[in-house]
Amino acid sequence: MKESLMEIVCCPIDKADLELDVEERDGEEIVSGTLTCTECGEVYPIEDGIPNLLPPDMREDATA
Amino acid sequence: MDESRTVRETYDRIAAHFASTREHPWPEVETFLEGREGSLGLDIGCANGRHAQLLAACTDRVLGVDVSRGLLREARDRANSRRFAVDLVQGDAATLPIRPGRVDIAVYVATIHHLRDRETRVRSLDELARVLGPDGRALVSAWSTAHDRFDSEEGFDTTIEWTLPGGETLPRFYHIYAPEEFRAEVADSALALEAFEVSSGNCYATVRREQ
Repeated sequence: MKESLMEIVCCPIDKADLELDVEERDGEEIVSGTLTCTECGEVYPIEDGIPNLLPPDMREDATA
Repeated sequence: MDESRTVRETYDRIAAHFASTREHPWPEVETFLEGREGSLGLDIGCANGRHAQLLAACTDRVLGVDVSRGLLREARDRANSRRFAVDLVQGDAATLPIRPGRVDIAVYVATIHHLRDRETRVRSLDELARVLGPDGRALVSAWSTAHDRFDSEEGFDTTIEWTLPGGETLPRFYHIYAPEEFRAEVADSALALEAFEVSSGNCYATVRREQ
């Protein structure tokens, strides 16, 4: 994902802002990292360049 | 049983084959997008990105959301090979991870019929209304009883299997809408109906958010 996506996405549950932590970057592309909700503290993974912003109850076993 | 998970697992498994059979955009979507332009486009249930590709031609930026990571990878491959830009997010249509009032043009095509119950489907329409801007417009489509393969005149839940080339079949939950039922779900949401048609066995609603 691109860092500018932060202007568009939010926490799926409470719609609050997310905080980005980058683990791996490839040019403009964030390959892996996390998005943490500034309100509820839920942590959403960025894997293989695609953020997983499924609500927590749908995210179980969703790493395929 | 968690049907949404089953649908996701099925699409993760069939992603490559499904994408190969979904090469061309639907003409109804092309018609909806004709002459429209905006800053942010949204494709809910983007699958392999065939409609996100059309949105990319009439907006500055397109966000593709899908529950299936396998399908999102297909969309990324298509975007790379067809040279269009799309931001991809794994997300749920009834719990959109998108800020309010930002979207100018949205398509929510052939996706809502995979959501299990009426409450969840209306909630997904409310979510679409929430993310649309004041002048935003969206096209929502779903499979309907008007299709030749169905006999019923009332809406019903069913399982429709996808057959992989090797013969293996995987289940997909569908709610098949009676056209009037589809209109009623839109009316019960925070969306206002601008136009409605039944075409090729699908219901199509052009919507904006209620004022």
